Amino acid sequence: MGGYGDVELIAKDGTRLDGRSVDELRPVSIEVGVLPAARGSCRMTWGLNIAEVAVYGPMEAHPRKIQRPDRAVLDVRYNMAPFSTSDRIRPGFNRRSREISKVTAEALESIVMVEMFPRSKIRVEIEILCAEAGTRCCGITAAAVALADAGIPMKDLLVSVAAGKINDVVVLDLDKAEDNYGQADLPVGILPNSKEIAFLQMDGDLSPAEFDLAMEYNMKAVDEIHKIQIEALRSKYTGGDN
Amino acid sequence: MVNIVPRLLKDQLTKLAEKDLRIDGRGQFERRNIDLEIDVLSNAEGSAKVVWGGTIVYAGVKFALREPYPDRPADGSLMTSAELRPVANVKYEPGPPSAESIELGRVVDRGIRESGCIDMESLCVVPGESVWNVNLDIHVMSDKGNIFDACALAGIAALKTATVPANRFDIGEDHKLPVNKIPIMCSYKRVGGRFVYDPSEEEELGGSERIHITLGDDGHVHSLQKGLKGTFSTAEFAEIFTNAGKQAEELRKIVEEMVI
Repeated sequence: MGGYGDVELIAKDGTRLDGRSVDELRPVSIEVGVLPAARGSCRMTWGLNIAEVAVYGPMEAHPRKIQRPDRAVLDVRYNMAPFSTSDRIRPGFNRRSREISKVTAEALESIVMVEMFPRSKIRVEIEILCAEAGTRCCGITAAAVALADAGIPMKDLLVSVAAGKINDVVVLDLDKAEDNYGQADLPVGILPNSKEIAFLQMDGDLSPAEFDLAMEYNMKAVDEIHKIQIEALRSKYTGGDN
Repeated sequence: MVNIVPRLLKDQLTKLAEKDLRIDGRGQFERRNIDLEIDVLSNAEGSAKVVWGGTIVYAGVKFALREPYPDRPADGSLMTSAELRPVANVKYEPGPPSAESIELGRVVDRGIRESGCIDMESLCVVPGESVWNVNLDIHVMSDKGNIFDACALAGIAALKTATVPANRFDIGEDHKLPVNKIPIMCSYKRVGGRFVYDPSEEEELGGSERIHITLGDDGHVHSLQKGLKGTFSTAEFAEIFTNAGKQAEELRKIVEEMVI
C-alpha cells in the first residue's frame, strides 16, 4: 500500500474516481481457447488488465527430483511482459513474480485432481500483457479456466478477486490509483461452489469489521465472475447455445 | 521436449514435395492468413498483435531517456528483444534467454535498424546529454511456425503506431515516432528437398535449413540470416529472393492499410 491516505479517491456519496460504486467490479471478460499452440488457454481482460494463460501437459516431470510418486506437480509461471506497465520491466524472474507464481501454484493444486497423474507435471504459463492493479487475481482466475479448457480434471473452478480500503471506506476491486494510494488490499481465491478459500493474501490495515465487509464483497464478486467463467467455457464447447 | 517422430514426418514431407504439395495443402510460396491489430496494449506507447495462421505475437514499444553513446552524442537508440517464453510452445523451457530467442531478436533488430526506418537524430533531446531510447519488445504467445516473420511484422507495426511520451517526462508535447519505411521479413525453409515460404510448425520440425530475408520499401535487402544445418545453391537463393520481393509488397500493404 502506498500509504498516501490524503488523496481523495471516493466522493461523499460513495462514488469512486472511475464512477463505480463501493461493491462494483471493473468490466470483466473471458475468452477460451485463444492460443493454438497450447493444450488449453484463456484470455481475460479485467479493467485494463490483460492476462493470457497457456496450459501444457500432463507431461513427464523433469528434472526428476521434482516428481511426486503420488501426484502431479503444477509448474506455474506468472510473468509480466516488458511493455505491460508504464515503466518498462526488465525481462526475467524477480522476487515478486516468483512469489506470485508460488502462491498461484499452491492455490491451483488445491483444485486440480493432482492424484490422478503421479510423477507428471502440468505447466501453467500466465502472461500479463497489460497491468493495472489486480494482475494476480486476473492470472489465477484465467488459469483455472485454461486448466478446464485443457481437460484437466478439477474439483471446482477457482475465482480470485480483491477487496480493499480507500479513504477509510471498504471497496471491491481496487484499480491502479486506488491500489497506489489505498490503505489495504485483500486478494482471495475462492472455490465458487464450496466457497472454500484456496488463496489468501493481505497487506495494509483493516479492522475485524472491515475485514468481514471486504470478505462479503469478495464473496459476492466470486459468483459474478464464476458466471462469466462458465459462460466462456460453454460458448467454446457448445457454440454458446446454453 | 524431445520429439520422437520427425523421421516419419520427414518421409511424409518428402513424398508430398515430390508431388509439389505441402502438409497443410498450401502451394510452395503460399502464405497463411494474417490478422494485424494495432494499439492493443494500453500501457505500451505503441503496440501490435499479429495472428499469423496459428502463430500469435505481440509487440510493444516503451521509451526511456538515457545518456547518448559517446561516439554518437546526437543520436537516440533502438533496442529490440524477442522473448520465446514457455507460454508459446511445449518445446520452450523456462530459464535465461536461449540461443534461439537471442537469434530471433537480433535478426528482427537488424532488419529494422539497417532499413533506416527510424531517424535516430530526431530522438535527440539535449545533444551529449539526453536522448530517447526506443525499446521494442516482442512477445511470442503461440508458436505454430514462422515466428520470425510474425515478430518482424508486429515489430514494425508497433513502431509505426508509437507515440513519444514527452509530456510524461516533462520535456514537451507528445508526438508520433517518425518511422518512414516499412522493412518486411520473408522466411523460407527447406522442406522435402525444396524451399517453401512461411513454414508451419510441422515443416519446421521435419525440414532443414532456413533463410530469412528483410527487404526495404525500395526492394533493397537490409538483413539476411541462414539458420540451422544444411546448404543451398545460388540458383535456389535467386528463386526465393525474387519471391521475397512479391511477398514483401503484399505484407507492406497490410501494414500501410492498418497504420495510415
